[in-house]
Amino acid sequence: MTIEVRIPTILRTYTNDERAVDAAGDDVRALIADLESNFAGIAERLVENDEVRRFVNIYVNDEDIRFTGGLETAISDGDTVVILPAVAGGC
Amino acid sequence: MVRYDSLIDSGGHTPMIGLPNLSPSADVRLWAKLEDRNPTGSIKDRAALSMINQAEADGLLTPGCTILEPTSGNTGISLAMVARQRGYRLVCVMPENTSIERRQLLTMWGAEIISSPAAGGSNEAVRMAKGIAAQNPDWVMLYQYGNPANADAHYRGTAPEILADLPEITHFVGGLGTTGTLMGVSRFFREHKPEVRIVAAEPRYGELVYGLRNLDEGFVPELYDASLIDSRFSVGPRDAVKRVRELIDHEGLFAGISTGAILHAAIAQANKVVKAGESADICFVIADGGWKYLSTGAYEGTLDEAEDRLDGQLWA
Repeated sequence: MTIEVRIPTILRTYTNDERAVDAAGDDVRALIADLESNFAGIAERLVENDEVRRFVNIYVNDEDIRFTGGLETAISDGDTVVILPAVAGGC
Repeated sequence: MVRYDSLIDSGGHTPMIGLPNLSPSADVRLWAKLEDRNPTGSIKDRAALSMINQAEADGLLTPGCTILEPTSGNTGISLAMVARQRGYRLVCVMPENTSIERRQLLTMWGAEIISSPAAGGSNEAVRMAKGIAAQNPDWVMLYQYGNPANADAHYRGTAPEILADLPEITHFVGGLGTTGTLMGVSRFFREHKPEVRIVAAEPRYGELVYGLRNLDEGFVPELYDASLIDSRFSVGPRDAVKRVRELIDHEGLFAGISTGAILHAAIAQANKVVKAGESADICFVIADGGWKYLSTGAYEGTLDEAEDRLDGQLWA
């Protein structure tokens, strides 16, 4: 099972400028480990002390994983994964 | 009683309406809180008035003062209306990639606009405003992203109004920007009806808006407390436009694009409840009407065309 992971501009230095890459894993932790095996250094930018970094948001099917089980959030075939930096919203 | 001493006094106490056609079933009902029925037509009137009142009470604002605020539009428009009545000068730092109507309205109410670069969106507006504030120590930056009076407006106003009109409420869905609405409403329900689930709808913009130089430039509003949120949906422009059009087609309601994102999250939540075979009364916010976004092209042509036009725009 491979999942398409959308990579923000700021992390594309790790993915040879690819805006979306394939990765495999049953949950987000495994998915990030698989990303790291292909794009060394990216995991450290996403995770710190076993939690998603403060200024990083990871969404599985458009839901922020902090509210769906964190790195243990399950991934299944057909899911979409989006990584974005946290920025100020419009107000 | 619907008589008030002035326009400012007429804010809040907005209607709540059912959405019989968009609710998924008789047991899972959607309710819209019409925050476009505020004096300048958006939910931001509550936060703006609350922040100004608090600054006056604290002795920070005195007649003739200059108020500075980073804003993509609605907060600025609300502040401008109050500032004009109370004799303050208002300077707004606003990203270039916002709709022309928002600039026209700000100018009409007498605000001065300093443009921040489109790349980086509101992040850049916040950064620039902080720099300008440091150079002008006599100016008062109310700073909606970190001002507790913003969230308090919803703790004291929006949330009790909702509970009074919908005592059976199970979910509240609001937009995530400053996080003021969600924080204030959630704090009230955690105290008064803790079983109510709080759902955030966060607009997902085009890549231009996320153009940080490094991740350390990221931004989480000082008001934000993740423990007050139960789920958080990221909604792109395509889904937001699709939903805002459904609101018009099925319920006759003309709302702004960010409300489409909120409705999308509300419907996603509603579908989960239906799947679980439970019942629910889900209240969401109509943040503003669609008038200020007509020029963006969100309301005409195909979804593909609308999505293209909104790419790189700060549509919420």
